[in-house]
Amino acid sequence: MSTKAEPVPGRRAKRFAPAGGGRARQDLLAAAAFLGPFIILALIFQYGPLLLMVKDSFYDYTLITPDLKTFVGFDNFVRIFTDQGTVKSLIITLLLSVGVVILTIPLAFLLAMFLNGKLPARGFVRTMVFLPVITSSVVVATLWTFLLNANGLINSALGSVGISQQPFLTSGTQALPAIIVLTVWQQLGMATVLYLGGLQSLPSELMEAATIDGASPRQRFRYITIPLMSRTTVLVVVVITVFALQSFAPAYIMTGGAPNGTTNTLVYLIYQTAFTLQQPGYASAISLLLLVIALAISLVQMRLLRTRWDY
Amino acid sequence: MTVSTARPSSAQTSTGAPLPAGAPQRRVRQVGRILTTLLILAVIVAAFLGPYVWMFASGLKTQASIFTDVVPISWRTFIPVHATIDNVTELFADRGIGRALLNSALVAVGQVLGALAVCCPAAYALTRIKFPGRNVIFAFILATFMLPSEALAVPLFQLVGTLGLQDTLVGVGIPWIANAFGLFLLRQAFEGVPHELDEAARLDGAGHLRIFWSVILPNIRADLVTFVLTIFLFSWNGFLWPLIAIQTPEKQLVQVAIAQSVSPGELPNWGLSFAGASIATIPLLVLFVFLQRLLIPGLARSGLK
Repeated sequence: MSTKAEPVPGRRAKRFAPAGGGRARQDLLAAAAFLGPFIILALIFQYGPLLLMVKDSFYDYTLITPDLKTFVGFDNFVRIFTDQGTVKSLIITLLLSVGVVILTIPLAFLLAMFLNGKLPARGFVRTMVFLPVITSSVVVATLWTFLLNANGLINSALGSVGISQQPFLTSGTQALPAIIVLTVWQQLGMATVLYLGGLQSLPSELMEAATIDGASPRQRFRYITIPLMSRTTVLVVVVITVFALQSFAPAYIMTGGAPNGTTNTLVYLIYQTAFTLQQPGYASAISLLLLVIALAISLVQMRLLRTRWDY
Repeated sequence: MTVSTARPSSAQTSTGAPLPAGAPQRRVRQVGRILTTLLILAVIVAAFLGPYVWMFASGLKTQASIFTDVVPISWRTFIPVHATIDNVTELFADRGIGRALLNSALVAVGQVLGALAVCCPAAYALTRIKFPGRNVIFAFILATFMLPSEALAVPLFQLVGTLGLQDTLVGVGIPWIANAFGLFLLRQAFEGVPHELDEAARLDGAGHLRIFWSVILPNIRADLVTFVLTIFLFSWNGFLWPLIAIQTPEKQLVQVAIAQSVSPGELPNWGLSFAGASIATIPLLVLFVFLQRLLIPGLARSGLK
């Protein structure tokens, strides 16, 4: 088109011309070229599996002979809530998430307060706490397998203060709490960094004004810091929950879901159901449930963060 | 207590200073505060550094000395006195860890390059080009951000099989190239570049490609490093998907190789597992310690899903 060769003033004139001149069309073409690859890949590898998952959850088949499919309607979904193993796995995954959140939030908050003060080794502490965040779940689970072993470091430490050997991963009552603790260890750095960002963006004028008005440190903490940190808390809760909901490596590496299914997290159950039991249809239905839970949490977060939390 | 540690009490000292009677009491409180700080530091070092040092040290020990050194806990637990590299040699010679490291590196580099090639232009279009439906497309991408990747593993396995990419390194990396998180990171960075810059370039006759390449990209170098590091880290540390996607042992990624050396029920060789875990972790630790200023913001924002 002639617009391409037009001198600069012409282009400017075109932009102010009414309704879709050459510029608008050019922009549209450019947008398509710039966005196209991303959109195509997202359609294939994000939306593709999503649709496939919804479809598969209505069928019964194996991965070996995927063409021999039987339509089973809502059977797979009914099975989720009637199969005791699956219900137990769902409860365990939720317990894991709740446990991790309850422990991480106060610890991360205190740690962030601690790091926000004048501390000589601040950078060093932050680096240390953040190490598990950049360490793979596989290495974390491997390391903790040995830490928690009968001959491991933790039992040795307990022994030196006179506490008898604990079974940890082989005990029905201790295995899940142990996995909760290692997940907290793994995510504490992330939560702390998020809180630290929140604390550093606190308006200092507010603190000064409160101090001048005679508010005690305790009052400033209770009536300024905590309320202003509520947005950050919503964020941290969601990040940690979604991470814990997808817990897989501890079950795969440390326990195999044992003892007695007490560490059988949903993602491990999905993996076993699809690839060991060869029931990808049922596994898809469970995946869909996991997805709905994660989406619901994200939507609640968006809602909570959209409301203005002014103080 | 937490408040006083967090906000070193400038107010208290200024009001307390003129009163000599308050001085001894203040000193007691100061000593107490220092002790509390040291105690917290000690707990953090023990809880976070201790396990890593134990892991690195034990990777350089024989199975027997790992066990004799762990009870009772002493400096020997954390320092390999008779260090041996037998575990490392065995991992490279017999267990194919070199191959696994190479595979992981190939997938991670490919994923980083692919993500750069796809996300940068997309971020440009979303911040610099006005076109109808921009918000719809943005919402469409935003939605993929909320999909938990582990939940998509089973259908993705079938899809990658249909595309003929099963059991290939390409199949491991390609699904995560259109990375919504990466796009958000870059979108924010692009927004940070003043629009006057590209207005000026446009008046000089520059087209979109020119503005993208010569105006925007050079201005967001630090964010690009954050982007590269974060994608690399996610790729390197991934587990469930590589476990499912690859069947041939020679194509295995390093995380899968380590995981399978400690499968439950088997009696693991502690020294080998520690050495393997150390080898898979050390490159990232080095990267992190030197570049954490660039890496932490990326990871912190990756949590913003």
